[in-house]
Amino acid sequence: MRVSYTLHLVGILTFFLGLTMIFPLLFGLYYQDHSVGPLLKSMLVTLASGLALYLLFKGRGTQNELMTHREGMGVVAIGWTAAGLFGALPYYWGGLFPDFSNAFFESVSGFTTTGASVLTQLEGIPRGLLFWRSLTHWLGGMGIIVLSLAILPLLGIGGMQLYKAEVPGPVPDKLKPRIKDTAMVLWKVYLLFSAAETLLLMLGGVDLFEALCHTFGTMATGGFSTRNASIGAYESPYVDTVIIVFMFFAGINFALHYQFLKGHPLAFWRDPECRFFVGVVALFCLTVTVNIYGEIYETMGEALRFGGFQVMSIITTTGYATADYEMWPSLSQNILLFCMFLGASAGSTGGGMKCMRIMLLLKHSYKQLFSLIHPHAVTQVKLGGRAISDEVLHSIWGYFMLYLGLFILCSFLLAAMGVDVVTSFAAVAATIGNIGPGLGMVGPTDNYAHIPVLGKWLLILCMLLGRLEIYTVVILFVPEFWRK
Amino acid sequence: MKIVIVGAGEVGFHIASRLALEHKDVVVVDTNAEALRRVQEGLDVQAIQGCGSSPAILEEIGLRGADILLAVTDSDETNLVACLFASLLSPTTIKLARIRGADYLQYEDALRNEPYRIDVIINPEAEAVKAVERLLKVPGAVDVGEFADGRIKLIGVRLDPDSPVAGTKLVDLHKKTGEKKILIAAIVRNERLIVPSGKDELFEGDIVYFVSEENELKAALKIFGKKAEPLKRVLLVGGGNLGLKLARALEGLSVHTKLIEKEPERCRELAQLLDKVVVLHGDGSDQGLLQEENIRDMNVVATLTGDEETNVLTSLLAKRMGAQKTVTRISRFSYFPLVSAIGLDHVVSSRLAAINTILQYVRRGKVLSAMTLKGEEAEVLEAVALETSDIVGKPIRKIPFPKGALVIAIIRQEEVIIPTGESVIQPKDQIVILSTRQGIPQVEKALMVKLEYF
Repeated sequence: MRVSYTLHLVGILTFFLGLTMIFPLLFGLYYQDHSVGPLLKSMLVTLASGLALYLLFKGRGTQNELMTHREGMGVVAIGWTAAGLFGALPYYWGGLFPDFSNAFFESVSGFTTTGASVLTQLEGIPRGLLFWRSLTHWLGGMGIIVLSLAILPLLGIGGMQLYKAEVPGPVPDKLKPRIKDTAMVLWKVYLLFSAAETLLLMLGGVDLFEALCHTFGTMATGGFSTRNASIGAYESPYVDTVIIVFMFFAGINFALHYQFLKGHPLAFWRDPECRFFVGVVALFCLTVTVNIYGEIYETMGEALRFGGFQVMSIITTTGYATADYEMWPSLSQNILLFCMFLGASAGSTGGGMKCMRIMLLLKHSYKQLFSLIHPHAVTQVKLGGRAISDEVLHSIWGYFMLYLGLFILCSFLLAAMGVDVVTSFAAVAATIGNIGPGLGMVGPTDNYAHIPVLGKWLLILCMLLGRLEIYTVVILFVPEFWRK
Repeated sequence: MKIVIVGAGEVGFHIASRLALEHKDVVVVDTNAEALRRVQEGLDVQAIQGCGSSPAILEEIGLRGADILLAVTDSDETNLVACLFASLLSPTTIKLARIRGADYLQYEDALRNEPYRIDVIINPEAEAVKAVERLLKVPGAVDVGEFADGRIKLIGVRLDPDSPVAGTKLVDLHKKTGEKKILIAAIVRNERLIVPSGKDELFEGDIVYFVSEENELKAALKIFGKKAEPLKRVLLVGGGNLGLKLARALEGLSVHTKLIEKEPERCRELAQLLDKVVVLHGDGSDQGLLQEENIRDMNVVATLTGDEETNVLTSLLAKRMGAQKTVTRISRFSYFPLVSAIGLDHVVSSRLAAINTILQYVRRGKVLSAMTLKGEEAEVLEAVALETSDIVGKPIRKIPFPKGALVIAIIRQEEVIIPTGESVIQPKDQIVILSTRQGIPQVEKALMVKLEYF
């Protein structure tokens, strides 16, 4: 791998990230709060660092050279880490945290759309910083790289390598012949949905600032709020419904949204993954509603409203909360825990293992059973009428094993740091799945502030692993990757 | 501009790579997952698995919105069927098909009409034969392009150490050439292409591309120290389709030609088909046979068998044994960078020839012909200057051409002008432009009609 070439591209991304800090800065200036200084300082430092990296590593051969698979992964993994580091500067200089570890945790949690917070008191924080916190969600949701691909002409060559390394799902779709157009289309759809949600929230009486912040949290399936009580603070069935609907949209493959908007209304129905996702969501919502009806909530309507919200929030890996599900019966809690692993659709902004992978694994397992009964049968795992190659299946099995393996390893490590069983288990599940709230000490009403510092670094790694779908991050730790 | 390419083989891949670099929307269809993977990983194009001759697939990939369909698989039948359905589904799409079978080519005119309506039929071997013919007609050249129906030639020569112009700066070139003006269009040095300015110097070992009129060619070659010896004796190794076609062409030029072929059956067939050509049965890499046939006196030895490794070695052997010039058939593109390094004079590739022909039709504006310089780093386009385009009516130096683009000739009816910065292009002039690959989109834009005139 050409390290200097990789860092050269990371420089471009960093510079670009610096430019996006202009938005919270504008809010800071508008509200005249204490975020202006730290944001301006962070912006300048980020821009300068990006430029320095870009110029420092601008050697011969940086243009017109094909980017290898390895370099693509390197740029994405290092680029995301850099985004986390520079994104933490406003929090650190804004005095939200005494140490950098916490600021870094908050920043990575934002970019990876996890939504796990180490802030105990949100109300009173300068609005510019709150806006930056939500904006990192939005940027990270569709992907910093995908956005750069859409806007920056510099990344055109080898764009596919970058795209593959960042976009979730086993086989990324290319919607348009050129990667730039594909990225552009995805961002346009994303922007359109975001605009619609902001508008709908404002119609429900939420002010522009909060509507934007919550839109960012929803569409990116992030989960950062501007209120301590999250969406529950509004106590409005209307707001709840809007958020539920848009969380659901965000959990569906954006390629389908695009086809739908292009005038193929059946696109959702034709896609097997989408049918599976909708089916699972419906089943879980119903089960949880019935389960909590009468025990927690008096009316069916309330049970559906709160049950549906929590299920949708967890399965799309958003992590907003309107109720403390830790008080719910154990079946409901169990379902929510399973949802953390299942996650949303491939090609959506959600995390988790993704419905498509689980579907294919189930189909593959069934195929194994089938061939035990008919040893001579020739079968193919198919999805939507198309055969899935063994190579893809192997890669999914590998992913599954790595996901589980890393989950187990990290929860052991966290437990070794003195965190209790349920919490260590749930904290890792909630960060590697990019959800946010877990169970126990990191439940929907708590946060991650009390996790030991070392544990926070471990969870930071988990969040990056989850967002970049394991392989892209793990590969950096494989010695073969660095060998010339 | 959206272009659908059916077939992700060498031809499809290379056309796709060229077009993708020029920011065109390219969709490649192929049944072979392995070939598609190469396309997908290496190029910024959409790769779709499926049979390109299937109407359902063509529909799915959005053929209706496509400007051009290139059917370039190795199978003539697939190409034909793809064009047939394309003509049914999307009549406005321009269709190019690569057809190799002689049987089909006999009905070329029929294919141009209903129901196929193929706009351009490309026969790679015929294109390759044309390319070799051009080369053979200009002895001493390593690369030859023809424009304005052959009236203008772009010639590439390799400078020998004893060449009179080696070590000369371009501004001083006229001192050596006397009256005649010579425009150096490009220099290839160490595998890199330079579009030169007056300050650049010529060195030995450079490949120098210059523009010349047909009738002044001999004098021009002399300036570069190349003797224009007429082509008299040619030895061809390999009697396949390409060998046969070339032999026929040489027969027409009344060049003394010998053809070596390994298969006795094929030899008999060739002997029947050819009149003046001496058909020899034997192995082209057999030293004894080569000596026997006076290889030392051959102007050109062309190795054209289907096995490229054999061709390379046979050419080197022939060169070693005294042949003046070699032409080697290579189909794998990854060997091209080796060519000049190991001392091969010319390479002929039916695939490369096909690609050049196809690219010329893909170009926008009124592009008449196009050629690719060594290493594919630059292209030369011939086009008509449209009245409403950006290039007419002002001195050439004021035309917004990108860096690395150069107008190398203007043809005004019967007159051929080798331009300077002050020359003015008039409407309906034919112009020949050389441009590096990066500059192509901008050149195309300049050639196009300005929008407000529509």
